[in-house]
Amino acid sequence: MPRKTVIIGGGAAGLGSAGGVKAADPGADVVVYTEYEDVAYSPCGIPYVHGGEIPDFERLFLAGKQAYVDAGIDVRYETTVTAIDTAAHTVTVEGEGTVRYDQLIVATGWNYADPGVSGGDLEGLYYVKNIRKAMEWDKVIGETKRAVVVEAGPLGLEMVTALAHRGVETHLIDPNPYALAMMADPDIMAPVEDSWRELGVHLHFNTTLEEFVGEGGRVRAVRTSTGELPADLVVISTHKTPNNALAEAAGIKVGSTGGLIVDERMKTSAPDVWAAGDAVEIPHGLTRTPLQGLTGSHAYAQGKTAGTNAGGGERAYRAVYVPWGTPAGKWVIGGASFGEATATALGIPYVLGVAEGISRARYYPGVQKIKVKLLAEPGSLRLIGAQMIGGGEGIKERADFLAQAIRFGMTFHDLSTMENVYSPAIGALNEPIVVAATNGLAEAKKKG
Amino acid sequence: MATSPGFAGWLRTNSEHYLLVAAHRSLARRTGSPAPRDPKGLKEIFWLRIFAPVYAALPWPLRSRIMRTMPGSHRQTWAPPPRPQGPAV
Repeated sequence: MPRKTVIIGGGAAGLGSAGGVKAADPGADVVVYTEYEDVAYSPCGIPYVHGGEIPDFERLFLAGKQAYVDAGIDVRYETTVTAIDTAAHTVTVEGEGTVRYDQLIVATGWNYADPGVSGGDLEGLYYVKNIRKAMEWDKVIGETKRAVVVEAGPLGLEMVTALAHRGVETHLIDPNPYALAMMADPDIMAPVEDSWRELGVHLHFNTTLEEFVGEGGRVRAVRTSTGELPADLVVISTHKTPNNALAEAAGIKVGSTGGLIVDERMKTSAPDVWAAGDAVEIPHGLTRTPLQGLTGSHAYAQGKTAGTNAGGGERAYRAVYVPWGTPAGKWVIGGASFGEATATALGIPYVLGVAEGISRARYYPGVQKIKVKLLAEPGSLRLIGAQMIGGGEGIKERADFLAQAIRFGMTFHDLSTMENVYSPAIGALNEPIVVAATNGLAEAKKKG
Repeated sequence: MATSPGFAGWLRTNSEHYLLVAAHRSLARRTGSPAPRDPKGLKEIFWLRIFAPVYAALPWPLRSRIMRTMPGSHRQTWAPPPRPQGPAV
Protein backbone atom coordinates (compact mmCIF):
# COMPACT_ATOMS: atom_id res chain seq x y z
CA MET A 1 0.00 0.00 0.00
CA PRO A 2 1.46 3.40 -0.96
CA ARG A 3 2.40 5.81 1.79
CA LYS A 4 0.12 8.80 2.02
CA THR A 5 1.58 12.29 2.36
CA VAL A 6 -0.77 15.14 3.12
CA ILE A 7 0.45 18.66 2.35
CA ILE A 8 -1.35 21.70 3.75
CA GLY A 9 -0.77 24.68 1.46
CA GLY A 10 -0.47 25.09 -2.30
CA GLY A 11 2.18 27.80 -2.53
CA ALA A 12 5.84 27.44 -3.46
CA ALA A 13 6.63 25.42 -0.33
CA GLY A 14 3.62 23.14 -0.68
CA LEU A 15 4.14 22.34 -4.34
CA GLY A 16 7.91 22.07 -3.88
CA SER A 17 7.12 19.53 -1.17
CA ALA A 18 4.76 17.60 -3.44
CA GLY A 19 7.47 17.37 -6.11
CA GLY A 20 10.02 16.33 -3.49
CA VAL A 21 7.84 13.49 -2.22
CA LYS A 22 7.18 12.23 -5.75
CA ALA A 23 10.88 12.40 -6.65
CA ALA A 24 11.81 10.33 -3.59
CA ASP A 25 8.88 7.94 -3.79
CA PRO A 26 7.10 7.96 -7.17
CA GLY A 27 4.46 5.58 -5.86
CA ALA A 28 3.50 7.79 -2.92
CA ASP A 29 -0.04 9.01 -2.55
CA VAL A 30 0.28 12.83 -2.37
CA VAL A 31 -2.65 15.09 -1.52
CA VAL A 32 -2.30 18.89 -1.41
CA TYR A 33 -5.00 20.93 0.32
CA THR A 34 -5.31 24.59 -0.61
CA GLU A 35 -7.94 27.13 0.40
CA TYR A 36 -7.49 28.92 -2.91
CA GLU A 37 -8.85 28.41 -6.40
CA ASP A 38 -5.40 27.95 -7.93
CA VAL A 39 -1.90 26.71 -7.24
CA ALA A 40 1.35 27.19 -9.06
CA TYR A 41 1.20 30.85 -9.87
CA SER A 42 3.65 33.55 -8.92
CA PRO A 43 2.03 35.90 -6.38
CA CYS A 44 5.26 37.91 -6.48
CA GLY A 45 4.37 38.88 -10.06
CA ILE A 46 1.05 40.51 -9.12
CA PRO A 47 2.44 44.05 -8.56
CA TYR A 48 4.04 43.94 -12.00
CA VAL A 49 0.70 43.20 -13.67
CA HIS A 50 -0.84 46.08 -11.69
CA GLY A 51 2.03 48.29 -12.86
CA GLY A 52 1.62 47.29 -16.50
CA GLU A 53 5.03 45.69 -16.91
CA ILE A 54 3.34 42.29 -17.37
CA PRO A 55 0.32 42.46 -19.70
CA ASP A 56 -1.99 39.97 -17.96
CA PHE A 57 -2.40 37.72 -14.93
CA GLU A 58 -2.49 34.53 -16.99
CA ARG A 59 1.27 34.77 -17.50
CA LEU A 60 1.80 34.32 -13.76
CA PHE A 61 0.56 30.74 -13.87
CA LEU A 62 3.49 28.34 -14.02
CA ALA A 63 1.52 25.20 -14.84
CA GLY A 64 -2.08 24.24 -15.52
CA LYS A 65 -4.11 22.08 -13.15
CA GLN A 66 -3.70 19.11 -15.48
CA ALA A 67 0.09 19.17 -14.93
CA TYR A 68 -0.45 18.10 -11.32
CA VAL A 69 -2.96 15.44 -12.29
CA ASP A 70 -0.38 14.10 -14.77
CA ALA A 71 2.31 14.13 -12.06
CA GLY A 72 0.10 12.08 -9.76
CA ILE A 73 -0.37 14.94 -7.28
CA ASP A 74 -3.94 15.24 -6.03
CA VAL A 75 -4.61 18.94 -5.44
CA ARG A 76 -7.85 19.66 -3.56
CA TYR A 77 -8.77 23.27 -4.34
CA GLU A 78 -10.81 25.57 -2.08
CA THR A 79 -10.57 23.00 0.69
CA THR A 80 -9.75 23.98 4.25
CA VAL A 81 -7.92 21.85 6.79
CA THR A 82 -9.34 22.74 10.19
CA ALA A 83 -7.30 20.58 12.57
CA ILE A 84 -4.23 18.38 12.89
CA ASP A 85 -3.98 15.45 15.30
CA THR A 86 -0.32 14.49 15.34
CA ALA A 87 -0.88 11.55 17.74
CA ALA A 88 -3.57 9.97 15.55
CA HIS A 89 -1.79 10.97 12.31
CA THR A 90 -4.95 12.62 10.97
CA VAL A 91 -6.13 15.97 9.69
CA THR A 92 -9.70 17.21 9.70
CA VAL A 93 -10.79 18.53 6.32
CA GLU A 94 -13.94 20.54 5.61
CA GLY A 95 -16.21 18.39 3.47
CA GLU A 96 -14.06 15.27 3.87
CA GLY A 97 -13.96 14.66 7.61
CA THR A 98 -11.00 12.92 9.18
CA VAL A 99 -8.17 12.05 6.78
CA ARG A 100 -5.29 9.82 7.81
CA TYR A 101 -1.68 10.54 6.79
CA ASP A 102 1.60 8.71 7.04
CA GLN A 103 3.55 11.95 6.62
CA LEU A 104 2.31 15.51 6.95
CA ILE A 105 3.92 18.63 5.51
CA VAL A 106 2.82 22.00 6.86
CA ALA A 107 3.25 24.73 4.24
CA THR A 108 0.60 27.14 5.42
CA GLY A 109 2.54 30.26 4.46
CA TRP A 110 2.01 33.72 5.84
CA ASN A 111 -0.47 36.45 6.58
CA TYR A 112 -0.05 40.20 6.70
CA ALA A 113 0.43 41.47 10.24
CA ASP A 114 -2.77 43.01 11.53
CA PRO A 115 -2.46 46.81 11.11
CA GLY A 116 -4.04 46.97 14.57
CA VAL A 117 -6.21 50.05 14.00
CA SER A 118 -9.95 50.58 13.68
CA GLY A 119 -11.62 50.48 10.28
CA GLY A 120 -9.96 47.23 9.24
CA ASP A 121 -13.28 45.84 8.00
CA LEU A 122 -13.94 48.63 5.49
CA GLU A 123 -14.10 47.98 1.76
CA GLY A 124 -11.22 49.35 -0.25
CA LEU A 125 -8.40 47.78 1.79
CA TYR A 126 -6.27 45.66 -0.53
CA TYR A 127 -4.03 42.88 0.79
CA VAL A 128 -2.02 41.73 -2.25
CA LYS A 129 -1.83 37.95 -2.22
CA ASN A 130 -4.51 36.00 -4.09
CA ILE A 131 -4.41 36.13 -7.89
CA ARG A 132 -8.20 35.90 -8.41
CA LYS A 133 -8.74 38.82 -6.05
CA ALA A 134 -5.87 40.68 -7.72
CA MET A 135 -7.72 40.42 -11.04
CA GLU A 136 -10.71 42.18 -9.43
CA TRP A 137 -8.52 44.73 -7.66
CA ASP A 138 -6.82 45.56 -10.93
CA LYS A 139 -10.14 46.95 -12.19
CA VAL A 140 -10.44 48.98 -8.97
CA ILE A 141 -6.96 50.41 -9.50
CA GLY A 142 -8.04 51.48 -12.97
CA GLU A 143 -10.70 53.71 -11.39
CA THR A 144 -8.63 54.88 -8.40
CA LYS A 145 -7.60 58.52 -8.13
CA ARG A 146 -5.76 58.45 -4.76
CA ALA A 147 -4.18 55.53 -2.99
CA VAL A 148 -2.31 55.11 0.27
CA VAL A 149 0.25 52.33 0.68
CA VAL A 150 0.74 51.33 4.31
CA GLU A 151 4.36 50.46 5.10
CA ALA A 152 7.39 50.37 2.84
CA GLY A 153 8.22 46.69 3.02
CA PRO A 154 9.25 44.71 -0.07
CA LEU A 155 5.69 44.47 -1.40
CA GLY A 156 4.97 48.08 -0.52
CA LEU A 157 7.93 49.14 -2.66
CA GLU A 158 6.59 47.25 -5.64
CA MET A 159 3.04 48.51 -5.17
CA VAL A 160 4.12 52.16 -4.80
CA THR A 161 5.92 51.93 -8.12
CA ALA A 162 3.03 50.03 -9.74
CA LEU A 163 0.40 52.55 -8.64
CA ALA A 164 2.56 55.47 -9.76
CA HIS A 165 3.01 53.79 -13.15
CA ARG A 166 -0.78 53.53 -13.40
CA GLY A 167 -1.11 57.28 -12.85
CA VAL A 168 -2.65 56.98 -9.38
CA GLU A 169 -1.82 59.74 -6.88
CA THR A 170 0.08 57.57 -4.44
CA HIS A 171 0.97 58.25 -0.82
CA LEU A 172 3.31 55.99 1.12
CA ILE A 173 3.18 56.01 4.92
CA ASP A 174 5.78 54.26 7.05
CA PRO A 175 6.74 54.54 10.72
CA ASN A 176 10.46 54.38 9.88
CA PRO A 177 12.63 57.29 8.69
CA TYR A 178 13.12 55.81 5.21
CA ALA A 179 11.82 53.02 2.98
CA LEU A 180 12.61 49.33 3.52
CA ALA A 181 14.30 50.36 6.75
CA MET A 182 14.03 46.88 8.26
CA MET A 183 16.64 45.54 5.84
CA ALA A 184 18.15 48.23 3.60
CA ASP A 185 20.50 51.10 4.37
CA PRO A 186 19.43 54.74 4.01
CA ASP A 187 22.03 55.60 1.36
CA ILE A 188 20.80 52.70 -0.77
CA MET A 189 17.19 53.85 -0.46
CA ALA A 190 17.74 57.61 -0.98
CA PRO A 191 17.93 57.38 -4.82
CA VAL A 192 14.85 55.13 -4.80
CA GLU A 193 12.91 57.71 -2.83
CA ASP A 194 14.07 60.46 -5.21
CA SER A 195 12.85 58.43 -8.16
CA TRP A 196 9.45 57.96 -6.52
CA ARG A 197 9.21 61.71 -6.01
CA GLU A 198 9.98 62.15 -9.73
CA LEU A 199 7.04 59.82 -10.39
CA GLY A 200 4.84 62.07 -8.23
CA VAL A 201 4.69 59.78 -5.18
CA HIS A 202 4.14 61.49 -1.81
CA LEU A 203 6.34 60.00 0.91
CA HIS A 204 5.35 60.22 4.58
CA PHE A 205 8.09 58.72 6.77
CA ASN A 206 8.14 58.67 10.58
CA THR A 207 4.38 58.47 10.14
CA THR A 208 2.22 55.98 12.00
CA LEU A 209 -1.11 54.59 10.85
CA GLU A 210 -3.90 55.47 13.33
CA GLU A 211 -7.21 54.63 11.63
CA PHE A 212 -8.90 53.69 8.38
CA VAL A 213 -11.65 56.28 8.05
CA GLY A 214 -14.81 55.10 6.31
CA GLU A 215 -18.04 56.37 4.86
CA GLY A 216 -20.91 54.05 3.97
CA GLY A 217 -18.75 51.01 4.71
CA ARG A 218 -16.00 52.07 2.34
CA VAL A 219 -12.62 53.63 3.13
CA ARG A 220 -12.40 57.34 2.31
CA ALA A 221 -9.22 58.30 4.16
CA VAL A 222 -6.34 57.13 6.29
CA ARG A 223 -5.71 58.93 9.57
CA THR A 224 -2.02 59.07 10.49
CA SER A 225 0.17 60.61 13.16
CA THR A 226 0.87 63.48 10.76
CA GLY A 227 -2.64 64.08 9.43
CA GLU A 228 -5.44 62.61 7.36
CA LEU A 229 -4.88 61.40 3.80
CA PRO A 230 -7.93 60.98 1.56
CA ALA A 231 -7.89 57.64 -0.29
CA ASP A 232 -10.09 55.60 -2.64
CA LEU A 233 -7.82 52.59 -2.15
CA VAL A 234 -5.47 51.48 0.63
CA VAL A 235 -2.81 48.86 -0.04
CA ILE A 236 -1.72 47.12 3.16
CA SER A 237 1.82 45.81 3.08
CA THR A 238 2.54 45.23 6.74
CA HIS A 239 5.19 42.60 7.44
CA LYS A 240 4.66 38.89 6.85
CA THR A 241 3.71 36.80 9.88
CA PRO A 242 3.69 33.00 9.82
CA ASN A 243 0.25 31.44 9.35
CA ASN A 244 0.70 28.87 12.07
CA ALA A 245 -2.54 28.77 14.03
CA LEU A 246 -3.31 25.23 12.84
CA ALA A 247 0.15 23.87 13.67
CA GLU A 248 0.29 25.69 17.01
CA ALA A 249 -3.11 24.31 17.99
CA ALA A 250 -1.72 20.83 17.24
CA GLY A 251 1.14 21.42 19.66
CA ILE A 252 3.92 21.74 17.07
CA LYS A 253 6.65 23.88 18.58
CA VAL A 254 7.27 27.44 17.40
CA GLY A 255 10.36 29.60 17.88
CA SER A 256 10.84 33.20 18.93
CA THR A 257 9.93 34.46 15.44
CA GLY A 258 6.59 32.66 15.53
CA GLY A 259 7.85 30.31 12.80
CA LEU A 260 7.74 26.55 13.29
CA ILE A 261 10.95 25.08 14.68
CA VAL A 262 12.59 22.76 12.13
CA ASP A 263 15.94 21.05 11.68
CA GLU A 264 18.01 20.85 8.50
CA ARG A 265 15.69 18.11 7.19
CA MET A 266 12.72 20.47 7.75
CA LYS A 267 11.42 18.13 10.43
CA THR A 268 9.22 19.70 13.12
CA SER A 269 8.86 18.72 16.77
CA ALA A 270 5.98 16.33 15.94
CA PRO A 271 6.48 12.79 14.65
CA ASP A 272 6.20 12.43 10.84
CA VAL A 273 5.48 16.15 10.43
CA TRP A 274 7.65 18.34 8.25
CA ALA A 275 7.24 22.04 7.44
CA ALA A 276 8.53 24.55 4.90
CA GLY A 277 8.26 28.11 3.63
CA ASP A 278 7.02 31.15 5.50
CA ALA A 279 5.54 28.94 8.21
CA VAL A 280 9.02 28.03 9.50
CA GLU A 281 12.09 29.80 10.84
CA ILE A 282 15.62 29.11 9.57
CA PRO A 283 18.92 30.05 11.24
CA HIS A 284 21.05 32.81 9.74
CA GLY A 285 24.35 31.40 8.53
CA LEU A 286 26.55 33.85 10.45
CA THR A 287 24.75 34.57 13.71
CA ARG A 288 22.61 31.41 13.80
CA THR A 289 19.69 33.54 15.00
CA PRO A 290 16.50 32.31 13.36
CA LEU A 291 14.82 34.24 10.55
CA GLN A 292 11.25 33.98 9.30
CA GLY A 293 9.63 35.36 6.15
CA LEU A 294 12.21 34.76 3.44
CA THR A 295 11.63 34.59 -0.32
CA GLY A 296 9.75 32.33 -2.72
CA SER A 297 12.99 30.64 -3.79
CA HIS A 298 13.73 29.81 -0.14
CA ALA A 299 10.22 28.43 0.30
CA TYR A 300 10.47 26.24 -2.79
CA ALA A 301 13.88 24.83 -1.83
CA GLN A 302 12.69 24.15 1.72
CA GLY A 303 9.62 22.42 0.28
CA LYS A 304 11.81 20.19 -1.89
CA THR A 305 13.81 19.29 1.21
CA ALA A 306 10.75 18.57 3.34
CA GLY A 307 9.14 16.54 0.56
CA THR A 308 12.24 14.50 -0.20
CA ASN A 309 12.66 13.56 3.45
CA ALA A 310 8.96 12.91 3.97
CA GLY A 311 9.14 10.62 0.92
CA GLY A 312 11.91 8.57 2.50
CA GLY A 313 14.84 10.29 0.76
CA GLU A 314 17.72 12.28 2.21
CA ARG A 315 18.10 16.00 1.67
CA ALA A 316 19.40 18.76 3.91
CA TYR A 317 18.64 22.46 3.84
CA ARG A 318 21.28 24.91 5.05
CA ALA A 319 21.40 28.00 7.22
CA VAL A 320 20.69 31.08 5.10
CA TYR A 321 22.68 34.13 3.98
CA VAL A 322 19.63 35.70 2.33
CA PRO A 323 20.51 37.15 -1.07
CA TRP A 324 17.74 39.60 -1.99
CA GLY A 325 16.87 42.08 -4.68
CA THR A 326 13.94 44.01 -6.06
CA PRO A 327 13.12 46.79 -8.48
CA ALA A 328 12.23 49.98 -6.60
CA GLY A 329 11.27 53.18 -8.40
CA LYS A 330 13.61 53.44 -11.39
CA TRP A 331 16.33 51.44 -9.61
CA VAL A 332 17.08 47.88 -8.66
CA ILE A 333 18.37 47.27 -5.14
CA GLY A 334 19.76 44.16 -3.55
CA GLY A 335 22.15 42.65 -1.09
CA ALA A 336 23.02 39.70 1.07
CA SER A 337 23.17 39.07 4.81
CA PHE A 338 23.80 42.29 6.77
CA GLY A 339 23.67 45.94 5.81
CA GLU A 340 24.91 48.78 7.97
CA ALA A 341 21.53 49.24 9.66
CA THR A 342 21.01 45.58 10.56
CA ALA A 343 24.64 45.06 11.63
CA THR A 344 24.47 48.19 13.80
CA ALA A 345 21.18 47.00 15.33
CA LEU A 346 22.71 43.70 16.35
CA GLY A 347 25.88 45.44 17.53
CA ILE A 348 28.11 43.65 15.04
CA PRO A 349 31.24 45.72 14.25
CA TYR A 350 32.24 46.09 10.61
CA VAL A 351 34.65 47.68 8.17
CA LEU A 352 33.02 49.23 5.13
CA GLY A 353 34.17 49.09 1.51
CA VAL A 354 32.17 51.21 -0.93
CA ALA A 355 32.52 51.78 -4.67
CA GLU A 356 30.54 53.22 -7.52
CA GLY A 357 31.06 51.52 -10.83
CA ILE A 358 29.38 50.73 -14.10
CA SER A 359 27.58 47.70 -15.49
CA ARG A 360 29.33 47.55 -18.89
CA ALA A 361 31.97 49.50 -20.80
CA ARG A 362 31.48 53.23 -20.28
CA TYR A 363 31.10 53.83 -24.03
CA TYR A 364 28.61 51.02 -24.62
CA PRO A 365 24.93 52.06 -24.99
CA GLY A 366 22.81 51.26 -21.97
CA VAL A 367 25.64 51.46 -19.44
CA GLN A 368 24.28 51.81 -15.91
CA LYS A 369 25.77 53.01 -12.63
CA ILE A 370 26.12 50.56 -9.74
CA LYS A 371 26.91 51.29 -6.12
CA VAL A 372 28.30 48.40 -4.08
CA LYS A 373 28.76 48.41 -0.30
CA LEU A 374 30.57 45.57 1.38
CA LEU A 375 30.76 44.95 5.13
CA ALA A 376 33.53 42.85 6.62
CA GLU A 377 34.46 41.68 10.09
CA PRO A 378 37.30 43.84 11.49
CA GLY A 379 40.58 41.96 11.74
CA SER A 380 39.82 38.92 9.58
CA LEU A 381 38.11 41.13 6.96
CA ARG A 382 35.71 38.28 6.26
CA LEU A 383 32.67 39.47 4.36
CA ILE A 384 29.51 39.68 6.50
CA GLY A 385 27.17 41.63 4.27
CA ALA A 386 26.56 43.62 1.12
CA GLN A 387 24.09 46.09 -0.34
CA MET A 388 23.80 47.48 -3.85
CA ILE A 389 21.82 49.82 -6.04
CA GLY A 390 21.95 50.12 -9.79
CA GLY A 391 19.98 50.36 -12.98
CA GLY A 392 19.26 46.66 -12.86
CA GLU A 393 22.05 44.90 -14.70
CA GLY A 394 23.81 42.36 -12.56
CA ILE A 395 22.30 43.26 -9.19
CA LYS A 396 20.66 39.86 -8.78
CA GLU A 397 23.75 37.96 -9.91
CA ARG A 398 26.01 39.97 -7.61
CA ALA A 399 23.65 39.41 -4.66
CA ASP A 400 23.65 35.65 -5.31
CA PHE A 401 27.44 35.62 -5.64
CA LEU A 402 28.03 37.74 -2.55
CA ALA A 403 25.78 35.48 -0.46
CA GLN A 404 27.98 32.56 -1.47
CA ALA A 405 31.11 34.62 -0.81
CA ILE A 406 29.84 35.27 2.73
CA ARG A 407 28.91 31.62 3.15
CA PHE A 408 32.37 30.44 2.18
CA GLY A 409 34.15 33.01 4.32
CA MET A 410 35.69 35.16 1.57
CA THR A 411 37.56 38.24 2.69
CA PHE A 412 38.22 41.71 1.29
CA HIS A 413 41.60 40.28 0.23
CA ASP A 414 39.89 37.52 -1.78
CA LEU A 415 37.41 39.87 -3.44
CA SER A 416 39.94 42.59 -4.21
CA THR A 417 41.91 40.08 -6.27
CA MET A 418 38.86 38.50 -7.88
CA GLU A 419 38.92 38.02 -11.65
CA ASN A 420 36.00 39.37 -13.64
CA VAL A 421 34.53 39.11 -17.11
CA TYR A 422 35.36 42.02 -19.36
CA SER A 423 33.35 42.41 -22.54
CA PRO A 424 32.11 45.89 -23.46
CA ALA A 425 28.45 44.94 -23.89
CA ILE A 426 28.13 42.97 -20.65
CA GLY A 427 30.91 43.93 -18.24
CA ALA A 428 33.22 46.81 -17.39
CA LEU A 429 36.98 46.64 -17.00
CA ASN A 430 36.67 47.24 -13.26
CA GLU A 431 34.17 45.06 -11.41
CA PRO A 432 32.51 47.23 -8.71
CA ILE A 433 32.82 44.40 -6.15
CA VAL A 434 36.60 44.37 -6.66
CA VAL A 435 36.82 48.13 -6.28
CA ALA A 436 34.63 48.08 -3.15
CA ALA A 437 36.76 45.35 -1.57
CA THR A 438 39.95 47.24 -2.45
CA ASN A 439 38.51 50.38 -0.88
CA GLY A 440 37.55 48.27 2.13
CA LEU A 441 41.16 47.15 2.53
CA ALA A 442 42.29 50.78 2.47
CA GLU A 443 39.62 51.65 5.04
CA ALA A 444 40.73 48.79 7.31
CA LYS A 445 44.36 49.91 7.01
CA LYS A 446 43.37 53.49 7.88
CA LYS A 447 41.59 52.25 11.01
CA GLY A 448 44.68 50.30 11.96
CA MET B 1 -1.78 22.67 23.64
CA ALA B 2 -0.60 26.19 22.84
CA THR B 3 3.04 26.53 21.87
CA SER B 4 3.20 30.26 21.18
CA PRO B 5 6.67 31.76 21.63
CA GLY B 6 5.56 33.63 24.75
CA PHE B 7 8.33 35.61 26.44
CA ALA B 8 10.91 34.72 23.77
CA GLY B 9 8.55 35.96 21.04
CA TRP B 10 7.79 39.14 22.95
CA LEU B 11 11.50 39.80 23.53
CA ARG B 12 12.42 39.04 19.94
CA THR B 13 9.67 41.25 18.47
CA ASN B 14 10.42 44.25 20.66
CA SER B 15 14.20 43.99 20.69
CA GLU B 16 14.35 43.53 16.90
CA HIS B 17 12.18 46.58 16.33
CA TYR B 18 13.74 48.94 18.83
CA LEU B 19 17.36 47.94 18.17
CA LEU B 20 16.72 48.77 14.54
CA VAL B 21 15.25 52.15 15.49
CA ALA B 22 18.34 52.78 17.64
CA ALA B 23 20.54 51.76 14.68
CA HIS B 24 18.71 54.23 12.42
CA ARG B 25 19.43 56.97 14.94
CA SER B 26 23.07 55.96 15.16
CA LEU B 27 23.40 55.96 11.34
CA ALA B 28 21.67 59.34 11.19
CA ARG B 29 24.24 60.78 13.61
CA ARG B 30 27.18 59.25 11.72
CA THR B 31 26.08 59.74 8.12
CA GLY B 32 23.39 62.43 8.15
CA SER B 33 20.70 60.02 6.96
CA PRO B 34 17.07 60.61 8.02
CA ALA B 35 16.58 60.09 11.75
CA PRO B 36 13.66 58.33 13.41
CA ARG B 37 11.26 60.40 15.45
CA ASP B 38 11.95 60.86 19.16
CA PRO B 39 10.57 58.19 21.49
CA LYS B 40 7.11 58.79 22.93
CA GLY B 41 5.58 57.07 25.94
CA LEU B 42 7.08 54.82 28.59
CA LYS B 43 7.37 51.74 26.36
CA GLU B 44 9.45 53.48 23.69
CA ILE B 45 11.54 55.28 26.29
CA PHE B 46 12.32 51.96 28.05
CA TRP B 47 13.35 50.13 24.88
CA LEU B 48 15.28 53.01 23.31
CA ARG B 49 16.81 54.73 26.34
CA ILE B 50 17.45 51.71 28.59
CA PHE B 51 17.34 48.41 26.72
CA ALA B 52 19.21 49.49 23.55
CA PRO B 53 22.18 51.13 25.39
CA VAL B 54 22.48 48.16 27.79
CA TYR B 55 22.40 45.73 24.84
CA ALA B 56 25.05 47.81 23.04
CA ALA B 57 27.30 47.74 26.10
CA LEU B 58 27.36 43.95 26.27
CA PRO B 59 30.15 42.16 24.40
CA TRP B 60 29.06 40.31 21.25
CA PRO B 61 29.87 36.80 22.58
CA LEU B 62 27.53 37.38 25.54
CA ARG B 63 24.78 38.84 23.36
CA SER B 64 25.15 35.94 20.94
CA ARG B 65 25.00 33.42 23.78
CA ILE B 66 21.79 34.98 25.13
CA MET B 67 20.19 34.92 21.68
CA ARG B 68 21.15 31.29 21.20
CA THR B 69 19.43 30.29 24.44
CA MET B 70 16.08 31.34 22.96
CA PRO B 71 13.92 28.50 21.64
CA GLY B 72 14.16 28.10 17.88
CA SER B 73 15.33 26.26 14.80
CA HIS B 74 18.93 27.26 15.54
CA ARG B 75 18.93 24.78 18.44
CA GLN B 76 18.13 21.87 16.11
CA THR B 77 20.62 19.96 13.94
CA TRP B 78 22.13 22.11 11.19
CA ALA B 79 25.29 21.49 9.23
CA PRO B 80 28.18 23.78 10.25
CA PRO B 81 29.21 26.50 7.77
CA PRO B 82 31.33 25.20 4.89
CA ARG B 83 35.09 25.36 5.27
CA PRO B 84 37.61 26.11 2.51
CA GLN B 85 38.95 22.93 0.96
CA GLY B 86 42.21 22.07 -0.76
CA PRO B 87 42.86 22.21 -4.52
CA ALA B 88 40.31 20.42 -6.72
CA VAL B 89 42.98 18.75 -8.82
